[in-house]
Amino acid sequence: MTNDWTPFSHIVVNLARQIRPGEIAFSGVNSTLAMLACLLAKRAYDFHFTYLNVAGGVEPVPRTIPHSSSDPALVAGSPAIFGNEDFYDLCARGGLDLVFLGCAQVDGEGRTNVSVIGEWKNPKVRLPGGGGAAVMMPTAKRVVTWRTEHSTRTLVEKLDFVTAAGNLQTVVTPIAVFQKRAGRLALEFWNPQVALDEVARRTGFRFDASGARPAAPISTRERAALESLDPQGEFAAAIRP
Amino acid sequence: MTLVAGLRAAAYGVPFQPVGGVHGSDLAALNGWQKVKDPYGSGKEVYVIPAISPDVAVIHANEVDEHGNARVLGSPFWDHPLTRAAKRVLVTAERLVPSDALAAQPELTLVPGFMVEAAAVVPRGAWPGSMHPLYEVDYPAVEAYLRDEEGALEAHLGSAPEAKRDD
Repeated sequence: MTNDWTPFSHIVVNLARQIRPGEIAFSGVNSTLAMLACLLAKRAYDFHFTYLNVAGGVEPVPRTIPHSSSDPALVAGSPAIFGNEDFYDLCARGGLDLVFLGCAQVDGEGRTNVSVIGEWKNPKVRLPGGGGAAVMMPTAKRVVTWRTEHSTRTLVEKLDFVTAAGNLQTVVTPIAVFQKRAGRLALEFWNPQVALDEVARRTGFRFDASGARPAAPISTRERAALESLDPQGEFAAAIRP
Repeated sequence: MTLVAGLRAAAYGVPFQPVGGVHGSDLAALNGWQKVKDPYGSGKEVYVIPAISPDVAVIHANEVDEHGNARVLGSPFWDHPLTRAAKRVLVTAERLVPSDALAAQPELTLVPGFMVEAAAVVPRGAWPGSMHPLYEVDYPAVEAYLRDEEGALEAHLGSAPEAKRDD
């Protein structure tokens, strides 16, 4: 089996692989790749998990795959509406097992910045904000984030601003999967299309790479599910290497 | 979610609302949010968010009657805390319906008319957003609006459903 990961497939499939049987998993706004990961897991894996999303969907069966992860199309086929108040409260009381939360920057301790690049009062870039991340990251049992750009400006030693801190467990990029071990992000897998030292060179924070392995190849079912979710390759084309 | 905690405080008629999480976030210091210790002795510290009472809430509904009773289908997003926290509530709606149509299923009415100051019938009023189950997000319109070029905003406003109506 050849390793023919693309940046797109590496992120979506490795996000999907974080979902465990029986979990309640949630994807939020501006999280198209996490939405695709949850839908992929539904199609590629045999175990049951509960998928909730920010549109209010509970176990949705969307007829079309929307561009936006907050599109009401993600309520289609849902037997209940579990809206914003409900899922935030569920998270706050410890009822969400796995939450996918986006970020602009992540540091070596697994804290994230979605607020500002530069200083708050004199920003270089004003970002859209956490959208609940500050509440969800400390209260969800496990949080997974991702970045389409793996660079020293996105994976940083020091954040420009700490939007959220807490139970971040996993970071997925086009070339790497980091897992938190003893309070620090450690390399678990790397995309075998790049060399291990490239991961180190493109990462701004120090990390432990002991035990790191090349990512297992994409399975036939994962590939089929991904193709069914993106038959025209539109989502894949939006992710540049 | 901290925003909703503030709205809930206003809706509940109390000066602040405890909220889960926030620990470790720079947002607390930036916004001056305070922590309180559980007065019942659990030892837990909880952030409290000050009440936020908007002067006006405007929500878009599927149906409204002549009294301002407004029905929202699909996910209500933040409509519930928003309408309870605001000092005044305005409704736009896809269509006007007789009151007995709402009374047939009163649990679908999101905001009762006595709380609503004024309502307007605005078909496709959520454009370029979506209105369940009537229409979906108009992605090309959103992308056109986002273009950083001269006239993009004017073109967007000019193509809105209400701008194209004759009446």
